[in-house]
Amino acid sequence: MASVASASVANAGAERAPPRSTVVEVVAAAGVVAGGISFTLALHSDEVAGQLGEPLVVAMLSVLLTLSYILCGLVAWWRRPASRFGPLMIAAGFTTFLTSLVWAHHAVPSTLGQALDLVPPVLFLHVFLAFPDGRVRERSVRLLLVVAYTTAIGLELVRMYFGEFGSRNLLEHELNPGVTESVRKVQLTLVSVYCLLGIGVLVARRLRGGRPLRRSLALLVDAFGVGLLMLAFLFLSAAYGGPWVAQIRWATFVTLSLAPMVFLIGLLQARLARSALTGLVVELRTDLSPSDLRDALARALRDPSLELAYWLPQFETYADVEGRPLDLVTLGRGRATTLIERKGVRVAALLHDPSLGDEPELLGAATAAAGIALENARLQAELRAGLEELRGSRARVIAAGQKERKRLERDLHDGAQQRLIALSLELNMLEQQLDAEPDAQARLDQARQEIALSLAELRDVAHGIHPAVLSGHGLHVALESMVARAPVPVHLLVDVDDRLEEPLEVAAYYVVSESIANIGKHAHASSATVDVRRTDGHVVVEIVDNGVGGADTEGGTGLRGLADRVEALGGRLRVWTPAGGGTRVKAEIPCA
Amino acid sequence: MRVAIAEDSVLLREGLSRLLGEAGFEVVAQCGDADELMLKVRSYALDVAIVDIRLPPTHSDEGLRAALEIRASHPSVGVLVLSQYVELGLAMKLLADSAEGVGYLLKDRISDVKDFVSSVRRVADGGSALDPIIVSTLLSRQRDDDPLTELTPRERDVLVLMAEGSSNQGIADKLVITTRAVEKYVSTIFAKLGLPSTGTESRRVLAVLAFLRA
Repeated sequence: MASVASASVANAGAERAPPRSTVVEVVAAAGVVAGGISFTLALHSDEVAGQLGEPLVVAMLSVLLTLSYILCGLVAWWRRPASRFGPLMIAAGFTTFLTSLVWAHHAVPSTLGQALDLVPPVLFLHVFLAFPDGRVRERSVRLLLVVAYTTAIGLELVRMYFGEFGSRNLLEHELNPGVTESVRKVQLTLVSVYCLLGIGVLVARRLRGGRPLRRSLALLVDAFGVGLLMLAFLFLSAAYGGPWVAQIRWATFVTLSLAPMVFLIGLLQARLARSALTGLVVELRTDLSPSDLRDALARALRDPSLELAYWLPQFETYADVEGRPLDLVTLGRGRATTLIERKGVRVAALLHDPSLGDEPELLGAATAAAGIALENARLQAELRAGLEELRGSRARVIAAGQKERKRLERDLHDGAQQRLIALSLELNMLEQQLDAEPDAQARLDQARQEIALSLAELRDVAHGIHPAVLSGHGLHVALESMVARAPVPVHLLVDVDDRLEEPLEVAAYYVVSESIANIGKHAHASSATVDVRRTDGHVVVEIVDNGVGGADTEGGTGLRGLADRVEALGGRLRVWTPAGGGTRVKAEIPCA
Repeated sequence: MRVAIAEDSVLLREGLSRLLGEAGFEVVAQCGDADELMLKVRSYALDVAIVDIRLPPTHSDEGLRAALEIRASHPSVGVLVLSQYVELGLAMKLLADSAEGVGYLLKDRISDVKDFVSSVRRVADGGSALDPIIVSTLLSRQRDDDPLTELTPRERDVLVLMAEGSSNQGIADKLVITTRAVEKYVSTIFAKLGLPSTGTESRRVLAVLAFLRA
């Protein structure tokens, strides 16, 4: 299966090597040490016991928070090196650790911890907003984060400058409790507002997405947005005094500690998608039709919005499996595009939910497995597009011929025919003036007879070139005369009220005229029926005779030419002609 | 008799106007298109309008529509439609309700001045003129059970002239027989075809056409 393996996924994001294992080990070890330090500091801190409650609980929760971000971040970084989400989580974990230094008895670490005290909430906000690829794309959201970090650190430094936080604060410059209290309220209120804004951003993103979520887990991830709400409530309570502060604090800690694991599962879901991929492989092994390929891929990648566009180099366009051209710009709006190549040749473009871009392995494996099927589908699309173009050009050739015929008929009508009539009239008037010369009169009369014959022949020629009555008065009138001259009694039923498009009228007219001519030549029929009716989106022309049947549908140009006309309009012509059972010709032509 | 002509070929329009003038008609209007004709029909008390079926701007069915409109809104004005092809379906449209004051002839018939003039006069007088091609198409039409085989050749001739709109006098002149003889033929034909005898000659046309078309 070397050829399948060579299917490659381009444009799936810059490939980045995972971190080296020593780096992972060092960071993990540092995380554990950090957790240990936090634990010890919390247990031995006077502030914890005084303000936050049971030291053991505080210690355990702060270790949980630190380690869950660092370790989940490490796994994410290792498994998804292309995503910045892992490093972001690790940073959040270590920052949480640094804030616990505030409990240190030494002034330097304590000052550092104090300065960073409100950074973790902003980092959590950052993490929520940057899921799943670690990037924040919207300019406004970036601005929100910058302002939030500034508020968290800047105002904290102001509070420290004016002497809040007691003796281990090295930044104290003057003591002014009035200022610090006001700044504290402003700072906490602002951070709450940022958290609420963050929730607004998450909701807006979901609404703008407009499509069903790619997977139900995304709902769970969203649900953790409630952590932001709890943070907001917590800070407002701390600033203005609110109920259940202690309980909410614990619940917030737990929620925030669980979030990294949910994020991690969300990121790594490709691991869990194996069963879906297996399903795809099984489906591909059965004779999956090209039109079902999209559905199979959509199931395997769990993205119902997925679209496949096949590349047709001959037409330099993308097309669906039926060969109809697709506009990738419109189709790709709000979606990510992944180009699928085989042996270096472009096969198709996959338009999918942007979140799939975080799972290049899944995408790569699915498209590689579908490699041959994709190439088959592309060939089918190319074939259909070719057929469609052929039909179009055939229709254009017929239309051009028809136009030329109409012009010829018109020229005859306005030119030779009018002149001959005028000439004949002139001769007749001359004849009347020549009362006394019987010889000349007879010759003039003879000339007029000749002109009459020429006119009759010319009329037949003109009618053969193009039946003017058809363009002038429509199918019903034209068929009425044709049927009256038919070689057998013909029962005519026309159930079409309006005029139809000209190519359609012409095709229907020739189907009837050729069929009636065939009845006269071959059918030995005693009667026939012509039925023209309009049924949902089609004009159906049906000619049935009670003759001997067994008509030659291959030889002769008649039926073949008719089929060409009908097929060029996207319709089809069928002939039933059992020996001894009469002949039925049925044309179905689509009409608007 | 006052006549208006609608024909976009100047050559034929002039020719028609000259021959009708010489035949004693007063040609009050020569029109190049249907709108002009309708204007003249409204402004002059015409006896008959001669209309080319193919008129500008599209040269499709403008002439026919004008003819139908005149027949609907000015029943006293006879309408003679000329065309380079005659079609049964169009004859049926023109004679849908009545055969009074209506004609439908191949343009070629103009050159047979005597016949043509008498056709114009007949239509102007409220009679009818149907092209022989229409009638022969109808007569030659294949039928499961053909009652026309019952007719003698002479009766057939009378039937044809009757269908073309000829009066009894016209038929008598054409076949060089007396009008009494024509009347006899007519009643025999109606009896053989199982048609109820009708009053006027134009109603007779309609009855015969309806019979032949069925």
